[in-house]
Amino acid sequence: MRWNLTIVLVLIVAVVSYGLYQLSYEVQRLGGDLRTLRAGIAENRAAVQVLKAEWAYENRPENLQTLAAKHLPLLLVAPYQVAEMQDLPSRVTDPFAASLSVVPVPRFRPRRKKNGSETSPRGQLHMAKYEGQRRSGEAVE
Amino acid sequence: MSAYSYHASGRREGSGARESIVISAQNDPGRAIHLEGSAKETLEQGRNRLVVAGVLFAFCFVVLAGRLVGLALSGLGQEKDVTVYSRSIQSKATLSASRADIYDRSGVLMATTLDTVSVFADPTRILDPIDAAKKMTSVLQDLSQASVVSKLSSKRNFVWLKRHLTPKQQKQINSLGIPGVFFRKEEKRFYPLGPLAAHVIGYTDVDNKGIAGVERYFDEGLSGRNGSKVAPVKLSVDVRVQHALRDELTRFMSIFRAVGAAGMVMDVKTGEVLGMASLPDFDPNRPQDFPSKTKFNRATLGVYEMGSTFKTFTTAMALDTRSVSLKDGFDATKPIRVAGFRIRDDHPKKRWLSVPEIYIYSSNIGTAKMADSIGPKRHKAFLRKLGLLDKPVIEMPEVGAPLLPLRWNSLETMTISYGHGLSVSPLQLSTAVGAIVNGGMYIKPTILKKSKEDISEGKRVIRKKTSDTVRRLMRLVVEKGTGSKAAAEGYLVGGKTGTAEKAVNGRYKRDALLTSFVSAFPMNNPRYVVFAMLDEPKGNASTHGFRGAGWTTAPIVSRLITRLGPLLGVKPVDEESETVKAEMYIPVYSREKKLATY
Repeated sequence: MRWNLTIVLVLIVAVVSYGLYQLSYEVQRLGGDLRTLRAGIAENRAAVQVLKAEWAYENRPENLQTLAAKHLPLLLVAPYQVAEMQDLPSRVTDPFAASLSVVPVPRFRPRRKKNGSETSPRGQLHMAKYEGQRRSGEAVE
Repeated sequence: MSAYSYHASGRREGSGARESIVISAQNDPGRAIHLEGSAKETLEQGRNRLVVAGVLFAFCFVVLAGRLVGLALSGLGQEKDVTVYSRSIQSKATLSASRADIYDRSGVLMATTLDTVSVFADPTRILDPIDAAKKMTSVLQDLSQASVVSKLSSKRNFVWLKRHLTPKQQKQINSLGIPGVFFRKEEKRFYPLGPLAAHVIGYTDVDNKGIAGVERYFDEGLSGRNGSKVAPVKLSVDVRVQHALRDELTRFMSIFRAVGAAGMVMDVKTGEVLGMASLPDFDPNRPQDFPSKTKFNRATLGVYEMGSTFKTFTTAMALDTRSVSLKDGFDATKPIRVAGFRIRDDHPKKRWLSVPEIYIYSSNIGTAKMADSIGPKRHKAFLRKLGLLDKPVIEMPEVGAPLLPLRWNSLETMTISYGHGLSVSPLQLSTAVGAIVNGGMYIKPTILKKSKEDISEGKRVIRKKTSDTVRRLMRLVVEKGTGSKAAAEGYLVGGKTGTAEKAVNGRYKRDALLTSFVSAFPMNNPRYVVFAMLDEPKGNASTHGFRGAGWTTAPIVSRLITRLGPLLGVKPVDEESETVKAEMYIPVYSREKKLATY
């Protein structure tokens, strides 16, 4: 009986100390992980900061203006190009066109240029035109 | 018995004695332990000692156990939190030992802090200074070899070789492998937008201390020095507006070969400065490479005699105090002579002019007479209400106080009425014009973004009716008067030209002008004040040699407003439509005799 108790106690001590050692190692390992993660986070934060600065640098208005002037045919917005939602004409759906979208019918092969494709806009609203187009149009006229 | 005697006499060690007692008791359970004499005494002493030591140890263990239980019960989770928290604070502190960022009103990064590496040397550990210097200068070509040698052979144990290396340089220096050369992590302030808003943001020195602009004004808040909370600053400046302003000013400054320029865009309802530029400017990333005069902020620190733009205030005052009405006028046939001083017109009409005519043709004579009829005392009080006589309050360290005349009598009132004799900064002028056009409320200027609830009413300086009339007058100047080149189709620009001769060494120089144009748009409900100024513009062929504000600065405003309107969401109106015309209608009451010959 007494021996049994002793053996049980010894076993308990062994198990508990093993458990504690395991726990301690686990904690140390996790602590190490945490440190690496924190270091990683700090590093990434610094990198994000650099990227933000770079983003702001690449997007400085001066740069964008040069790029826009080089690649886009955009000009200053003229007053007639500004409209509000209520100024827009409501969309008119042609019943024939609507039926076309449901029933496929044979059509012309798509051509690169259609004759007289430029239709005049409805109502008071004028479409914005690129300078180049307008010039070529004027030249033709 | 012999066992007891043996123990009692021979050994004094407690544990042995106890053991033997136990054993003997086991061996002889029936008999009670019986001790006598000195043996008993010694045994008692040993037992006492044992008990004392035991109690002491037990106490210690109980304390430890109690602490353990206490921690286990109350503190374990918390303890963990505390460590995480303190660490995160620490990491935050190391992060925000770095200065906080500065943003524009829409969140564009204007100033930030980046981690960099600096290289320093410990000369006591350098083996061969000349060889080391040769190696170092092969990587850092901007350093001179001689200075590096002298640094490396000094007796100190710390010398900076170069601050803020690029990663590439760091790698190269590292691979040189010079003993006694070390790196230190540092932080560098970086301004991604370069010179765009240089005067607003300011700059920092090599130790990241703010020494100009917002960087200096909010130094404590940005750096967290003196225990203040580290918080980023959000400016009212809009990067797009700022760019448009700087771009146009730069363009026209080079067209008219001016020595300087300044500009300002301000929200008249909130007092927020959307753009503020002063040219020539500098790159805050490397301020030491620019001459010190580029760091002078003409928009806030510079005070100038603004010229005819002041007629706006004189006219507003005269109309507000009801000392004249629109129908009244003054004779502007001949120049006025006061105290040896001659007041003449730049655009002489040589006839009687009504109040609207005086304003749109910018008649000095008429304005001087108008101000004289009011008197110096009320004139001074009115300008003080508009904040033109006190140092303005704005969140910047570089703020210039106005230069007032030594005495303010009738003559001074007459000259100040058309903008000579009183020097104010563009900031003051823009704020005052904002107060005139926004319905008559003076709102303090700010360069910090205001939230909805921050917007205050301001204090009334003129009646709403007067503000409305002056607005129409300003519109008339652009429609028919001296500022016709400032028109921007659709945005109902109104404004006033100002051409002033620069005072150099106490005398006015006729060939050095300071031209300015102050405007607001859209005039039926003004939202923004736009101010532009050129310092010493020269005429060219496109202006037929003229250098006045109507020729040199009004076009800036026109271009600028055409660019700003869509950016700021101002809806263009048809200026020819009847409703707009009616809104902007003002009778001129001209007595001009139409010649019958044509």
